[in-house]
Amino acid sequence: MTTLTPVSSPKFQAGTFKSDLKPIWCPGCGDFGVLTALTRALAAVGRPPHEIAFISGIGCSSRIPGYTTAYGFNTVHGRALPIAQGIKVANPALLVIAAGGDGDGFSIGGGHVAHVIRRNIDLTYLVMDNHIYGLTKGQLSPTSHRGRKTVTSNFGSLEDPVNPLLYVMGYGASFVAQGSPVDMAGLTKVIEEGIRFPGFAFINIQSPCVTYGEEEQQLKAQKAKMQSLGAMGHDPSDLAKATELARDYGTKLYTGVLYRNPNPPPTYGEMAAERHHALESQAVPRHDILKRFLPTH
Amino acid sequence: MIQDVIIGIAGAGGDGVISAGESLITAAALEGYHGMMTKSFGSQIRGGEASCRVRLSTHPVLNPNGPLDVAVALNWEDFRRFGAELPVESSTMVVYESRTGVAADQLPLEGVRPGVVFSVPIAEMAQQNAGTEKAKNIVIIGLLAGWFGIGRESMLAGIRKKFARKGAEVVEGNARAFQAGLDFAEAHPLKEDRKLGAPHNRSAKMLTDGNDICAAAAIFAGCTFFGGYPITPSTEIMQFLDREIWKYGGAVLQAEDEIAGVGAVVGASFAGKKAMTATSGPGMSLKTEMLGLASIAELPLVCINVQRGGPSTGIPTKAEQSDLFQAAFSAHGDCLRPVLAPVSVGDTFGITVEAFNLAEQYQTPVIVLSDQEIAQRKETVEPIDTSRFGLVERRRPTDAELVNYTRFKVTESGISPISQPGVPGGNYLASGIEHNEAGGPTANGETHARMNEKRFRKFNSLKNRRDLFAVEGEPDAPIGLVSWGSVSGVAKEALRLAQAEGLHVKLLVPKLLYPVVETVYQDFFASVRRGLFIEQSFQGQLYRLVRMYADVPARVRPLAKSGSNPIQPTEVLERLREMVASLQATHQHAEAIEG
Ligand SMILES: Cc1ncc(C[n+]2csc(CCOP(=O)(O)OP(=O)(O)O)c2C)c(N)n1
Ligand code: SF4
Ligand SMILES: [Mg+2]
Repeated sequence: MTTLTPVSSPKFQAGTFKSDLKPIWCPGCGDFGVLTALTRALAAVGRPPHEIAFISGIGCSSRIPGYTTAYGFNTVHGRALPIAQGIKVANPALLVIAAGGDGDGFSIGGGHVAHVIRRNIDLTYLVMDNHIYGLTKGQLSPTSHRGRKTVTSNFGSLEDPVNPLLYVMGYGASFVAQGSPVDMAGLTKVIEEGIRFPGFAFINIQSPCVTYGEEEQQLKAQKAKMQSLGAMGHDPSDLAKATELARDYGTKLYTGVLYRNPNPPPTYGEMAAERHHALESQAVPRHDILKRFLPTH
Repeated sequence: MIQDVIIGIAGAGGDGVISAGESLITAAALEGYHGMMTKSFGSQIRGGEASCRVRLSTHPVLNPNGPLDVAVALNWEDFRRFGAELPVESSTMVVYESRTGVAADQLPLEGVRPGVVFSVPIAEMAQQNAGTEKAKNIVIIGLLAGWFGIGRESMLAGIRKKFARKGAEVVEGNARAFQAGLDFAEAHPLKEDRKLGAPHNRSAKMLTDGNDICAAAAIFAGCTFFGGYPITPSTEIMQFLDREIWKYGGAVLQAEDEIAGVGAVVGASFAGKKAMTATSGPGMSLKTEMLGLASIAELPLVCINVQRGGPSTGIPTKAEQSDLFQAAFSAHGDCLRPVLAPVSVGDTFGITVEAFNLAEQYQTPVIVLSDQEIAQRKETVEPIDTSRFGLVERRRPTDAELVNYTRFKVTESGISPISQPGVPGGNYLASGIEHNEAGGPTANGETHARMNEKRFRKFNSLKNRRDLFAVEGEPDAPIGLVSWGSVSGVAKEALRLAQAEGLHVKLLVPKLLYPVVETVYQDFFASVRRGLFIEQSFQGQLYRLVRMYADVPARVRPLAKSGSNPIQPTEVLERLREMVASLQATHQHAEAIEG
């Protein structure tokens, strides 16, 4: 396995992580802010771009890996997590980040979220939650509120939204945070913390769609209702309180770290490494693998 | 003296029927005989009726089918439940438990009156000698060892080993039960000697099944990641790998579904590892979108489909060859993914290694079509010298190529150097979106056309792989058989029977099914005027697939059937005789017109 640089002092600038590709996003799209915050966070973390694997699904938001200098993989709709997990298990030394939209993560790919959490694979998952399907031009998303009128809910949605925060907390995620491009410093900080957290980290980002989004999701409205968890004096190690606050998703907008497990459980990678160490002496040379099929008395 | 014997045993769950079959074939393998064993169970998950067929031979066994030479019934209800798997003919020697109370001339076998019948107090002999009826299966192997001269010493040694942990008394009891079987056979000799001749070479054979040897091949090829979801009849591949792969620093990820399973494999491959998934029909249907992704992102991976009866849940426990269309045309878009198929348990080793090699060489998913029969039957395999198999690694970029690295460079061969995370300078964007040479997303039609051309062109050299096709028989024969996968064993046996009758026949067995290599079929069919594609599917999928690409003579037709072991060598032979007759008739007709 390649030995990789340890997480270290900032020797990179945010620009080191920005590629030459010009984003196709609409002017004013919240995803620009996410890209900037992410590149700043990566500069702070200090791992060189070639040691980072950045995986996404399909959607406007899922274009993001291509706008960075990391190894990127823009996969298929809803499957960033399984692919990211395969990468991390195959090469635990890599820094692995997965990203995508609310539809990608909580509709088509929703089934995968529970499993990455229970495996506690050490990767960071950024969901750019704009409450709409941006790429396909404005259909109902799993986080659209009840009554929301879109081109596929002409008379108003009859469905309640998924609550991404409660969803991941319900499956026992050890690091849960929310951010918004309204507060770039705060967003950068939660992304950095998520990356540094040993284990699966989930960050929901209120990244507005300026083209198909509603007024109440735009930066201006967000600014008016945003409440910083830090300023509120929330203790992120308090699971009960975090769960209570998570219930307010959709009505209130909290930013910052909602929950950070004070005693993070071992990661999948740590346990796998232990197992490798314990079993390696039992490996027969690969070319002798068939010998076991010779019957003995 | 005989060369070949087919034994069928049936009984209730707990009668040790499978264990008796395993003792027989293990002893035979140790002594250098060839053999195949198939198992069949009632529909309960556990504890229902069970049967096995064991075919032993002095020469390599080509298929496990055919009417029984020996039928062993521990009770008649259970035996009759396996009617199709255990066909009894008048020539079959029947051995049955006396306690069933059935008279030897009134066996409950409709329309068949076997000539040689033994009513044996099997349970009583077990009780008397071993002190438990559990030793019934030991009495049975004693009887069979006595009559057919198979593996007396090996079986006794096997019994001693098997029961060693239970103490000397149990060992001796079972040894006595075995001896009682031998003694019974000696006291009731057969009129015709049915002792199995000496094996054509005495070296011990390996004994395994297609799933285990497939998994072993993956380890040999350097696979360090498996992602998948359990599904019959493929699960043993995952189970074997989970026992072994961790020792090599690898991992098995039991995913939440087949999409995630193959997704993780795509990820592991992107990270630079050799990776594999295995599944059966329903799982294969779920994996297709990911196969398309791996194709356009040009990532190597191996996907094993152990075929079972379909569509949908179909028959999970029976073999079929009905997923060839799906394998060839899986996932949308213009695309080519190589499809390989092994013909036997032993062949599964080389084919699986080949699948990894092709995947690495061409940076592509490769599909292997195994089937339930190959996957789960126990078969003797001549020891394989693994040093004969070379291993291929993906073409990684040189230092020079890492300067302004271009992941999808359009090269002469169509194959571009592939980097992986962790390599400085090799950073690139992989994507399911069409991309330019540098990896940048594009909607440009010309770029798309160019990349498609490159992704097809890279397979050109695959069409030179004649070693992935086996041709047997007279090169100029006017009658040609084509068959693939496990069923090709039936075709091969039919070929032997036809040759023994002096018929001019040849057989083509493709192991590379897709892309269809036109020239191989052209050459094969050049002399052919009549023939058959022998396949276990309703449609005859290979026949139809080949005709998409190559000219097949009009009188080469599919002999295609679904069902369990629906095609027997004798049926093929019958069709061959008809073809010879029809050829002669046309010949005479032509001569008459000329004359
Ligand atoms: C299997 C599949 N189904 C549907 C689509 C079409 N599709 C692409 S992106 C998308 C939804 C995008 O919404 P979201 O994930 O919220 O991302 P956003 O564009 O809002 O950032 C859909 C339905 C697809 N690409 N693949
Ligand atoms: S459609 Fe919405 S989400 Fe997509 S780029 Fe435009 S603003 Fe952003
Ligand atoms: Mg969205």
